[in-house]
Amino acid sequence: MKRRQDAPENSATALPLGPAHPTTDVAAASPLARDLARLLTHEDVDRARDRWAVSRARRAEGHSKLGGRLSLVWLLVGPGVLVFLGENDAPSMLSYSATGARFGIGFFIPFVVLTFAMGLVVQEMTVRLGAVTHRGHAELIFDRFGRFWGLFAMGDLVLGNFLTLVTEFIGIRAGLGFFGIRPIVAVGAGLAVVFAAITTGRYWTWERITMGLAVFNGLFVPAALLARPHWGSVAYSLLTWTPLPHGRIFDILLLILADIGATVTPWMIFFQQSAVVDKGMQPLDIGAGRFDTLLGALLATVFAIAAIVATSPLFHHGIDASQFQAAQFAEALEPWIGHVGAALFALGIFEAGMVAAIAISTSSAYAFGEVLGTGHSLNRPLREAWPFYSTLLGSALTAGALVLVPHAPLVFIVLIVNVIAVLAMPPALAFLLLLVNDREVMGEHVNSFWENTAAITVTVLLICAGIGFGLATVFRTS
Amino acid sequence: MKPTEIEVKASAAALECGPDVLPPDLEDPSVVLSVLEADQVVAAKQRTHFGRRNLSLGMRVMLWGLRFYVLVMLVLVIVSAIRALHPAP
Repeated sequence: MKRRQDAPENSATALPLGPAHPTTDVAAASPLARDLARLLTHEDVDRARDRWAVSRARRAEGHSKLGGRLSLVWLLVGPGVLVFLGENDAPSMLSYSATGARFGIGFFIPFVVLTFAMGLVVQEMTVRLGAVTHRGHAELIFDRFGRFWGLFAMGDLVLGNFLTLVTEFIGIRAGLGFFGIRPIVAVGAGLAVVFAAITTGRYWTWERITMGLAVFNGLFVPAALLARPHWGSVAYSLLTWTPLPHGRIFDILLLILADIGATVTPWMIFFQQSAVVDKGMQPLDIGAGRFDTLLGALLATVFAIAAIVATSPLFHHGIDASQFQAAQFAEALEPWIGHVGAALFALGIFEAGMVAAIAISTSSAYAFGEVLGTGHSLNRPLREAWPFYSTLLGSALTAGALVLVPHAPLVFIVLIVNVIAVLAMPPALAFLLLLVNDREVMGEHVNSFWENTAAITVTVLLICAGIGFGLATVFRTS
Repeated sequence: MKPTEIEVKASAAALECGPDVLPPDLEDPSVVLSVLEADQVVAAKQRTHFGRRNLSLGMRVMLWGLRFYVLVMLVLVIVSAIRALHPAP
């Protein structure tokens, strides 16, 4: 097929500058249709290809309801699954592992379910924002609140994302280190995967590759099965939230606050909204977007619980795992779950770091592109959107390189990254709530009373957890 | 009002989105415009913005309060982490 020659982007100045407003009008019905037809880009064509497939699946529902619906689900799942499985990143999976090793099967299993439910409430709002406004989160903040507040939001995102990326490459290094792979080879392999995912120049293909990797977050499930837990205890804990954790109250509270506060991190809000926009989702797809987000939350919950269950043998055998790093968990578990189980665990840590590295570096690139007004779509080829791809690869490369630097302050970064994510959430949630209740932006899709009730409850809890966690960390280490 | 040529072609393209129909020619702008919303088109998005929102006093206080909290806590946490890594003899 003849490759489209894109009109120079500056010829868009031929169009009148005007206010945006929520609309579901097809572009062909727009008064500017004739002008838009001349200014279509490669990105528009790729997005139209994806939209045509969705329209086709919707019409197929009329002929075969189940087949059409499955086809529609297949086409529209993606951002929600990726954001939640990306949030099951290396530090998170290690945190769940540490929880299982320290407290076994009990309170923290239903607690994890609660935290993901809270995350679901927050992430659902990003689906609506992206599908209605067709703008990324950074772009909307700059538009509605101005450069001053936009730069603050970007500052939180950039700092948090970079530090988190470093911890992801620590996880990649540690996960592959279990198999004797040298750090430089492990980090190089991780960077190669990030690069390979973006070379397709198609959002759809990038999404499917990353989802294919994300599915391996489920490696913790066979590891959990190999731990041969008492499944009755798991079911009992889900229903009764017992047994309660024992130990120093302060440490347990700190862990609870950390888990609450780390459920949703700023990059998740920016990433999912931008991915929804890049995927070309429209208001008609909000229902499917909600299902996608729910599916992601469910999968992530199951895999997180699996990590807790997989390391519960360490609790039952009185192994002190408080100072364990990633590979040490896998090695310590080998007597009880076997070499295969330990290998699966280590591979799961590698996967957790890998998918998160892809998603987080992409969220940074989306945000920079939206703010700078440069092309910011995975539907653009490398040569067309080189600032976007340079940000994506540059952030991953820098984080990966730091992990290889001798005497780099990696322990310091691991210590503070979770706290920074928790601290940065309250302002991010405040902007999110303001935007999703903004009728000029959302039109009829503003939060309902019950959606606001749920969202404000979660936001208040997260803010209190953030303040509590920050203060507890300060007073604990002072 | 008579439909424009683009609207006529777009309607025809949309009708052809049946389950057994081959993918349309996406080199035809009318087909692209028939499946995208107006502000999904890159050129349109570049030229439209939502505009600045008027922030009430309460909203400004909340945003400034949260910002002050983040900055202060960030400094405290970094200092605490450094102390934890390098405890005084």
